[in-house]
Amino acid sequence: MRKFLVRAIPVATLILFISVMQSDIIYKIYFDNNNITDSINLIKNDIRDDKWIEADANIKQLSESWKRVVRIIQFSAELDEIKLLDKNISRLQGAAMAKDKANAFMELNEALEHWENISE
Amino acid sequence: MSEALVVVVRSIIAFFTLLIFAKILGKQQISQLTFFDYVLGITIGSIASELTIDLTSRAWPHWIGLLCWATLGFLMEYITMKWRYAAKYINGEPTIVIMNGKIMESALRKMKFPISDIMELLRNKNVFDLSEVDFAIIESNGQLSVLKKPEYEPVTAKDLKITKKPSGISTELIYDGILIEENLKQIKKDKKWLDKQLKSHGVKDISEVFIATLNPAGSFYVDLYKDHIKNLTDIGDYKGPY
Repeated sequence: MRKFLVRAIPVATLILFISVMQSDIIYKIYFDNNNITDSINLIKNDIRDDKWIEADANIKQLSESWKRVVRIIQFSAELDEIKLLDKNISRLQGAAMAKDKANAFMELNEALEHWENISE
Repeated sequence: MSEALVVVVRSIIAFFTLLIFAKILGKQQISQLTFFDYVLGITIGSIASELTIDLTSRAWPHWIGLLCWATLGFLMEYITMKWRYAAKYINGEPTIVIMNGKIMESALRKMKFPISDIMELLRNKNVFDLSEVDFAIIESNGQLSVLKKPEYEPVTAKDLKITKKPSGISTELIYDGILIEENLKQIKKDKKWLDKQLKSHGVKDISEVFIATLNPAGSFYVDLYKDHIKNLTDIGDYKGPY
């Protein structure tokens, strides 16, 4: 038993560390169900159809989902990618307020790019 | 996102990963490290520090780097253990720098070792006169081993034809005021015997003892928390903060 524990504890520790360091990938595969990607696509459609009220509500939802996701993936993802996606969401909120289609699409596409980069 | 929290989690990962890898890499003493082992240690440490505080990149690649260096280090250790030829090439081999009292200049030149360094290493070994040296060897870890000429070697019990009792390794019986019963059983003694020994040293209770040991020759050593020394020897040359 003692010998087993001497080997099992380091192995279990390393597995735990690996899962923490890969939390972004694990989250995307098992828990996200394309939540962020779907939200971004939904906002794109709203803006394309000039549904600014719905877009505003969906951006708020995206912002809240993102805040929840960051808590999980912060230990594995790049700090820069997280900060850039934060900025994209803030700018997107501004663009929605100003009903600026061009800037909103730019921010949405960039946000999607950063989200894809996060678990690469 | 809390950057401090991320650093704390990454520190824990780096710390325990290093601990596990160091355990796997073996128990080689620092004094036995070759130059390559030394560089390997520094590189692994540097990767671990980057894993901890470089938040601009993912933790994973740093950890993989750590794993690769540790694995390669382990492989090198394994190869040098199993294949003597490779060990000589990788770790280097001892070089004789003084043979029969004569300095080997070509060996020194080859190793880029100035004679002043050899003199320094000899002084570290308490050799101040070159004429006392029969053989001197630079080991693969950079340390100097010295064999003095027979006339300068200290007299041993064998020279004087005296028989000495082997002292052996002492066994700890009490540590930090706590009796180590396992060790007491191992030397086939009981608590009564220990109490008698302590009484003969003026000890009333085990809790007064900092350490008590017994060597195979039967010599009992005891040190108390209260040392009752009146005239303390102070080796400091000026008054410090304490």
